[in-house]
Amino acid sequence: MDFALSPEQALIRDSVARFAAEANAGEDPWPTFAELGWLAIGAPEDLGGFGGPLETMLVAEQLGRGLVAAPFVSQVVFAGTILRAAGRTDLLEPLTLGERRFAVAYEEPGARYDPARVAATVRRDGAGYVLDGTKARVLDAATASTIVASARLGDDVALFAVPADAAGVSPAPYAAEDGHDVSTMRFEAVRLGADAAIGDATNGAAILECALDHAVAALCAEALGIMTVMLETTVAYTKQRVQFNVPIGSFQSLQHRMAEMFVECELARSAATRAAMILDGEPEPHERARAASAAKVQIARSGRFVGQNAIQLHGGIGMSEEARIGHYFKRLTVLERLLGDAAFHRERYASAAAGRPRVGTPS
Amino acid sequence: MNLAYTDEERAFREEVRAFVAERLPDDIRRKVRDGEEALVKDDYYRWHRELHAKGWVAPGWPRAYGGTGWTPVQRHIFAEESAYGWAPRLLPFGLQMVGPVIITFGNDAQRERHLPPIASGEEFWCQGYSEPGSGSDLASLQTRAERHGDAYVINGTKTWITAAQWADWMFVLARTDPTVPKHAGISFILCDMRTPGITVRPIVTIDGGAEINEVHFENVEVPVENRIGEEGDGWKCATFLLEFERTGTAGIPYCRQQAQAVRDLLREERIDDPFIAERLAEIEIRLEALAFTELRVLAAEAAGNRPGPESSILKITGTEIQQQLSELALDALGPYAEHKAMARYLNLRKTSIYAGSNEIQKNIIAKRILKL
Repeated sequence: MDFALSPEQALIRDSVARFAAEANAGEDPWPTFAELGWLAIGAPEDLGGFGGPLETMLVAEQLGRGLVAAPFVSQVVFAGTILRAAGRTDLLEPLTLGERRFAVAYEEPGARYDPARVAATVRRDGAGYVLDGTKARVLDAATASTIVASARLGDDVALFAVPADAAGVSPAPYAAEDGHDVSTMRFEAVRLGADAAIGDATNGAAILECALDHAVAALCAEALGIMTVMLETTVAYTKQRVQFNVPIGSFQSLQHRMAEMFVECELARSAATRAAMILDGEPEPHERARAASAAKVQIARSGRFVGQNAIQLHGGIGMSEEARIGHYFKRLTVLERLLGDAAFHRERYASAAAGRPRVGTPS
Repeated sequence: MNLAYTDEERAFREEVRAFVAERLPDDIRRKVRDGEEALVKDDYYRWHRELHAKGWVAPGWPRAYGGTGWTPVQRHIFAEESAYGWAPRLLPFGLQMVGPVIITFGNDAQRERHLPPIASGEEFWCQGYSEPGSGSDLASLQTRAERHGDAYVINGTKTWITAAQWADWMFVLARTDPTVPKHAGISFILCDMRTPGITVRPIVTIDGGAEINEVHFENVEVPVENRIGEEGDGWKCATFLLEFERTGTAGIPYCRQQAQAVRDLLREERIDDPFIAERLAEIEIRLEALAFTELRVLAAEAAGNRPGPESSILKITGTEIQQQLSELALDALGPYAEHKAMARYLNLRKTSIYAGSNEIQKNIIAKRILKL
């Protein structure tokens, strides 16, 4: 058991932190990400890839700290894990080089985050397929040239690579509260080639669950970065804001609130780190799901507490669009529900826990 | 970063599990598991003797004084497997509290006199900190130790003293100099409980238990050589000990025991309520995050840092989880809440009060970590 970062890991963390501190909003970060190799995290070595869930955690945490609105989790982690698990190096390689962008379309209206509740259908059509259905909340679809969509092929859930400009694909993009791009997508009689199938018809659901766990773990790290900054900012603010002739941070009711925020941040750090370390050990699917879902529940709880109280302790300033603390709050609030909220993941944790071994941590 | 246990650690886990299964007396295991009957001194003593005979009684001590030489991970494994096997938690006052203080601040004569009987279990200890007028504001304590030649004469009252009725010794915080600022005038003194002038009076708690006492000192003469460290250095010993105490009071293995007990209860009583199941899952998730936080603290300790203010996180969250689990058992049983669930619920209200109330822990975090 070892909690220390390797020199390489510390280097990645520091270079992402530097990037995040200097990043300009509105500028496409993808060329820099590609150049520095961050798009290849988790990819096989023969594609120039390196690292895995631990490096992903370090990158995502720093992106969270800097509030960088980059589609790192949706593309590199979520789509990247699907393509890696399915062995589609022909698609993964352009992703790692920054030449091609992907979005994952798995949620559906009314499915309440559940990747297994799929109404979209695919039927065979000669050597190819025809796709019909509607997908909700597709992250970062506006910049993607390929949509990875889940659909029912007979009784199975299968995954397909859909060109974003194919006939019958109609995206309805909208700006989410945190400034990220999100789309609802309709697929109407979209004709796909034989090579559109990612994996085979029997492993779509398993690949999707695996990628979901990796993406959830990464989102937890991003949320951790955000809430840590929110705590630091709040502590600094209450030390300099004077009322009744004293800094408001000298009031015990506020001190206790910030101590509670600190405890929540530390539990969140443990939950996110634990998930990344368990995923790094390539555990059985139920262990993996249990770790990722536990982290998401903890992050949701901690994040809501830290976020709400950071705004409260900033007072009127916290309500102002001009102050950065509110932007962190919006992203954190959106993250709480991305890829499943606390209720969904608590239920997923409980079912994954049903057949668990007795020892709490994996051996 | 790597979470895997080594082969040696896995073998060690098996060894501990087998030892607890084989050597823990059945009647003690039953008492701990069922929670219906309080453990008595002889129960603690019998398990203490087993651990001592095996050389496992003092994991936190240096090897030279009879410690195990275990790594932090081994100590973690030992605590987990002891809990899973329903072993009782040994009383902390000798092994985890005064022991490390004597090792760190005592002299050779004090180490030779006191460490062996603490390790063997031949002498039980209790903790003389709180007073009727000094709870959270511990440094305001009024118990006086006046120097008369080679002895201190102690007068005052200590309260909430767990196991004082069984104890052979008490470590006492007493004021040796009332003329200096309150933190500076306190000394740490070891007191034989058979010394004339000591009266122990039991305090019955809201759960009907009799585990705590008030201890009255009237002209109790204690040799000066029983003082640990210099006169006036008592506060240093007191806070050193409190930080160790807080890591222990997280009671993570105990939380795991209790979570298992709630699961057993739900099964035995056939309680199939999704709201109860959800609350249990939520508590277990928080417990996993807490257990991992303890591993992080242990890893920092292995790297040479002694427990610092971070142990306040463990104390706050661990005691909250213990209380939440007892509350859940009560709610799960609903109108049929039996005496044992109610008694445990009532008893565990103490956890957020003792060892520095959780409000005091928040003061510590605010002042020492957040620098507010």
